[in-house]
Amino acid sequence: MSLLVTMSLLNGLTLAALLFITASGLTLSFSLMRVVNLTHGALYMAGGFIGVSVIKVTGSWLLALLAGGVVMAILALLEEKFLLRWARGNDLIETLISLSVAIIIGDLVLVIWGGYPKTIEIPAMLSGAWTIPVINLVYPIFRIFMLGLSILIIITLWLFLKKTNLGVTIRAGVDNFEMVSSLGINVRRLFTIVFCLSGFLAGVAGVVGGTFMMLVVGEDWRILTLTLIVIIIGGMGSLVGTVVGALITGLIYSFATAYIPEFSLFILFLPVAIILSIRPHGLFGTKA
Amino acid sequence: MLLSNSSKIFVVLASLALLIAVPWIASDYFVMMCIRVMYFGMLTLSLCFLAGELGVVSLMQASFFGISGYFIAILQTRYQIPFPIPALVGIGVAVLFAALTGLLVIRARGIYFLMLTLVLGQLIWALASQWATVTRGDSGITDIFAPVIFGISTEKSKGAFYLFELFFFCAVIYFLATLKRSPFGLMLRGVRDSESRMAMLGYPVSLLRYMAFIFAAFVASIGGVFFAYFTGLINPHSVSLTTNVETLLSAILGGIQTLFGAILGTAILKVLDLVLSGITQRYLLIMGILFLLTIMFAPKGAAGALKRLWEGFASRKMGSGAPAGGASDDPFYEDTK
Repeated sequence: MSLLVTMSLLNGLTLAALLFITASGLTLSFSLMRVVNLTHGALYMAGGFIGVSVIKVTGSWLLALLAGGVVMAILALLEEKFLLRWARGNDLIETLISLSVAIIIGDLVLVIWGGYPKTIEIPAMLSGAWTIPVINLVYPIFRIFMLGLSILIIITLWLFLKKTNLGVTIRAGVDNFEMVSSLGINVRRLFTIVFCLSGFLAGVAGVVGGTFMMLVVGEDWRILTLTLIVIIIGGMGSLVGTVVGALITGLIYSFATAYIPEFSLFILFLPVAIILSIRPHGLFGTKA
Repeated sequence: MLLSNSSKIFVVLASLALLIAVPWIASDYFVMMCIRVMYFGMLTLSLCFLAGELGVVSLMQASFFGISGYFIAILQTRYQIPFPIPALVGIGVAVLFAALTGLLVIRARGIYFLMLTLVLGQLIWALASQWATVTRGDSGITDIFAPVIFGISTEKSKGAFYLFELFFFCAVIYFLATLKRSPFGLMLRGVRDSESRMAMLGYPVSLLRYMAFIFAAFVASIGGVFFAYFTGLINPHSVSLTTNVETLLSAILGGIQTLFGAILGTAILKVLDLVLSGITQRYLLIMGILFLLTIMFAPKGAAGALKRLWEGFASRKMGSGAPAGGASDDPFYEDTK
């Protein structure tokens, strides 16, 4: 394998892991509430910028990660409680509300942090490069750590959904929402929790992404587009589909960036077109 | 409405005469404003047509608008091809692209449609911004000159450009109004209200939706022609999500159900744009807040409010006293009387 191929493969995997973190939150809140939260990209970006500020003050990357997640969870909570609940039941209006909130947050980020691209500094412990033994490739340690961290988040999320009571309730709600509410479970609270979780994941992803990519104005829409492509390909509401979708999207985007940079995003039109024409609800999606 | 047929025709003719007279009676500034409202109006009209007749919200109408603009720019500045050809090719390509994407999106409904069109629109934006050898990236293509029509340069004379555009603008409105009233329009509304019933009655439901999507793209691409000629430049901003959201906001501000609402909304937003750009750089923030407030508190828009006012007035005059409307506040709902 040539160097470029290996690099693209590794970068693609890292991006796929990042996309999974953002897309899993979005697909969870979608399948439960039937709302495509278009604020998700803005939460990603705002979370990343919060991380920038926190690391500047405290110097702790882990704290930045937590702060990005928690602040975005609170933001998502406010959005759900005060805006989306206003239009509950009309999913189109709810989605449009989330779109307007995304625009507002995007511009506020510009006001607060300015228009210059920023990156989150790599913590000293994790900086430097490491030679991967078998293929003899020099790769930044931080990226490998990032890949590991993303996989850790994926596994944690998986365990949370499979093993904890709350996770089981959420999955039940995804499958049959009416049945869950008739069993006496507080669905409003469930909505709020899932929305918070989704915001938390977006914020965390923002800090992670802000460390190995850049945070620039417009990043919110780029990430949202990629995330939406992931769930369109994978199928709404399916976690397995999200993993597969993230892998396809991440790898194609990464290889295209290396070989045909002029079409790196546009090329994603192909998988979307092919998969939608064969399976209109995505690879693992079921008819709603 | 209470107007009789003959007085309706009179109103239409009078307003048409007034519109034609604008270059002679109004200032250059006003004429330029009208030109802008008309081309963005066509963009909004295409969105309103889809929303009103199909009940779907598209976030990619600006792509068709931009595609025709880009083709004009490339064919004219690169290959020096004379006037009608670049515009026709631009519209043709936009319609072809709609025929292609239409295959993907017509099956989607509601938020799926919105999400899918958002993604496709963003991919077009990425292409415009990244394919720098052809589109010149973020700086865009400049020096597009408006054509000479009947020996008059519409590049030099704003009045001539206005009349040139007005002709097509009226044609588009006539086209859409006729389409709405035609059997095709009725079938579309049937599909919107109960797709399964229409399918059961033997109507080609998917084909109808597909056709509507292509018609809408056609209207948007005509707007793009005038946009490119008037501003003389085209850049990725014209196909960006911001433009798409502005279009949606115009539509909702004016009232998404009527053609008149589309124009009204565009006019409101463009005047606001002009006023705000002089005093603040936070245009997006204000637009977002306005969008949020409109969606939450006045989803039927200005045209809806005017209609309610008119109906209230009319019913009072007739002494019925019954409250008008009474439909839900959903902008995508219309009673099909």
